[in-house]
Amino acid sequence: MNNRFVINYTPGPTFLHQLSGFTKVFLFIVVTVAIIATYDVRILWPLCIISIAEIVSMKPNWKPIIFMFLFTFFTVTIIGNIMLFVVSPDAGLNNVGTETILWTSASGRFYISKEWLWYIYVVWVKRTASFASVMAFALMTTPSEFASGLNKCGLPYKVCTIISLAYRTIPDIANDFVDIRNSMMMRGVELGKKAPLGKRLKNHVTLLVPLIMSSFGKVGNIANAMDLRGYGKNKKRTWYAEHEPTKYDRIVRGITIALGIATIVYILWARIIDPWPAKIWAPFVDKSAIQQISLEESFFLFRWLKGLFNK
Amino acid sequence: MEPIISFKNFGFKYKTQSSPTLFDINLDIYPGQKVLILGASGSGKSTLCNCINGLIPFSFEGEITGSLTVAGKETKKSSIFELSKDVGTVLQDSDAQFVGLSVGEDIAFAMENICMPRSEMAPLVMKNASLVGMQDFIDHVPFELSGGQKQKVAIAGVFANDVRVLIFDEPLAALDPQMGMTAVSLIDDLAKDDERTILIIEHRLEDVLYRPVDRIILMGGGRIVADMTPDDLLKSTLLKEHGIREPLYITAMKYAGCSLEGNRNLCSLEDLEFSPENENKLKTFFTSDYKPLPENQNEPIIEFDHVSFSYDGKQKVLSDIDFTIRKGERIAIIGKNGAGKSTAAKLLCGLIRPSEGEIRLGGKDIHPLTVKEIGERVSYVMQNPNQMLVKDIIKDEVGLALQIRGRSAEEIKNTTEKVLKACNLFKMRNWPVDAISYGQKKRVTVASMMALEPEILVLDEPTAGQDFRSYTDIMNFVNALNQEYGITILFITHDMHLAIENTERAIVFADGQLIAADRVCSVLANEQVIARASLKQTSLYRLALKLQLDPESTIERFISYEAELKGGEIDE
Repeated sequence: MNNRFVINYTPGPTFLHQLSGFTKVFLFIVVTVAIIATYDVRILWPLCIISIAEIVSMKPNWKPIIFMFLFTFFTVTIIGNIMLFVVSPDAGLNNVGTETILWTSASGRFYISKEWLWYIYVVWVKRTASFASVMAFALMTTPSEFASGLNKCGLPYKVCTIISLAYRTIPDIANDFVDIRNSMMMRGVELGKKAPLGKRLKNHVTLLVPLIMSSFGKVGNIANAMDLRGYGKNKKRTWYAEHEPTKYDRIVRGITIALGIATIVYILWARIIDPWPAKIWAPFVDKSAIQQISLEESFFLFRWLKGLFNK
Repeated sequence: MEPIISFKNFGFKYKTQSSPTLFDINLDIYPGQKVLILGASGSGKSTLCNCINGLIPFSFEGEITGSLTVAGKETKKSSIFELSKDVGTVLQDSDAQFVGLSVGEDIAFAMENICMPRSEMAPLVMKNASLVGMQDFIDHVPFELSGGQKQKVAIAGVFANDVRVLIFDEPLAALDPQMGMTAVSLIDDLAKDDERTILIIEHRLEDVLYRPVDRIILMGGGRIVADMTPDDLLKSTLLKEHGIREPLYITAMKYAGCSLEGNRNLCSLEDLEFSPENENKLKTFFTSDYKPLPENQNEPIIEFDHVSFSYDGKQKVLSDIDFTIRKGERIAIIGKNGAGKSTAAKLLCGLIRPSEGEIRLGGKDIHPLTVKEIGERVSYVMQNPNQMLVKDIIKDEVGLALQIRGRSAEEIKNTTEKVLKACNLFKMRNWPVDAISYGQKKRVTVASMMALEPEILVLDEPTAGQDFRSYTDIMNFVNALNQEYGITILFITHDMHLAIENTERAIVFADGQLIAADRVCSVLANEQVIARASLKQTSLYRLALKLQLDPESTIERFISYEAELKGGEIDE
């Protein structure tokens, strides 16, 4: 059952697995905020490498991870960049601030600039770093540690229980679904690959009735079981899954705090104290060359259409 | 001594119902007692217990009359949390009450709620886990545990508070026979503590009596019908009147014409001392000549020809299964969870296909047929009817399979009516599905399968969640389908009573292998098979040993006598 949805229900044996829930959630939040807040490869690459190192250290089952990585790479990166090439070849100019054209199509409608390539590279690094940090977090954290860690970060415990109960019931609901589906197929409802897609989708919707009905019955039982064991009596609760911080927890928390401070300092420095005039820093761009462009000018399609019109 | 639970002129009416569910309850239970609360579905036994643990009136609203004190506290003035310090409840559905994501976490749930620091929690969890023998499973996730293990965890979970009263709501409902015995022994061990009061709510009398109880409170129609010792209750006629199945050995004694008076320790077969007269009567009865059970000589309808199956191509879930079922037979498919019986049923329905071997229906390989085509000949009725019902109105549910197959409105109407009449549902045909009981829903699911006029009906645990009365109803109905329409019936079941009373042959699975395919009486008399399949020896078997008779012929004699009785009923 472990790893069926890349969810770990029992903590693994490695260093990161043994950290407490709060340490893991805290680390994840800080890394995520840092990745979201920056467009600077000098920050993104280290974060990405740290996350990948985390994944490697946990000796995971690589198959689903690589599959998911390739899936997002093909759908988001490749398709996304083709769309970007069509719609906004000037993304380089808008984000990096200069434009060094490398190739132009005969009509002038399509072109590629050095800055555009830099832009998609930075976005790719950012996306890979996010993917790696989410994956590292998912691999190191059990749902209970997630719930207890979130509670310790200040989220109300009832919300956290909902999260852990959801993880508790996902496999049950999946099994129920398979049973119901089988029974419907035997009654002749077309759910297999032979049926046309529209019909198949419509028939899958009918499965929801028994699925919801059988789940509702369980909800009542779960609520009673929780009431009978005193759930919701106090304003707070403790967590069995949240063990006392060890030496390593303190070290990792310390590193996380340092990382958080570094991120704040970087943002202050790069945006306020010595602001870089464009959104994205690039090593080959000279600060003084960056053009300030008006909003109207910043849309390539708009400029292109205007050019056509003027002709 | 002060009673720990005391009902005085107590009554209760649910907010949603027009008449009360409990009337005139006067009952005192003293510390240290082990009490069985017996009753059919709807007798009020669960309501009674929910009053004690505080679910009534705090989760299920309603009107209370009279007084109920638990450990000196008037319940209606207390709260569910206050009561949970004294009363621990193990609910019927061991899966739903498992709220944690690991064994340790679930046992700790109540401790977490009282904000116990983790440093105190961990050793206590370990201690409570060892109390029920789950100390080696602390990190296991619920999906890896059997029903019996989940129940043990639930028991450990209520010990967070040092509870003085333990309530078990139908502890045997979801367990296979051997786990059921383990559960009954475990409850008995917990009852050894003189301070602890134990209440068991059940309708499976014989299984609970595997270990002694002090008192039995029989409920019927929301009232206490009897409050007596097990021996006295067995001697009375109350069990039959209130829809409770008596132990098989008692039935056997009645068949043999024994008087139930004058036997000591009637409630436990092991300690029972027969009067010499009774012993003679039993021996004469079981050794007398009887009509041998007829053997089915019809043509084969289902053939498993050296079938193996594996999901991943490596580990075999089923290996080399080979058996034949003849037309019109009633078969019990037996084995503990995971032994391969549901895999075999899935193979039969074509949901999965054998990796080796061949399955034949009526002599023809089913390999080229689709699930839908097989579904017209083999009907599979799932254990939980709620998982099968998709329409709002009974009539539409029954007609669904025909509608899908694009039959004419005329034909749908005719067939549906015929089936509804056969299933005794015609009067209810326009009722909403939500409005009927669990047992009736089960009947609707069978009816909806019958609409396709199948040759084979597979019923998965048809008696789960049913009391004796609704069990008898369903079995009479299924047997009538078998006799009138010659439908072959396969029961996937743990219930040995069902096998004895309603089937001719049993097919037994253990660890992915077929370990027996024989007459029910031979299977039940085979000690090795019983042990490997996690079954429980029936009390008939133990009775035979006690009387130094041959178990196989004893069981056969019993079945044949019951068949004669039933034959007699039909002639009347």
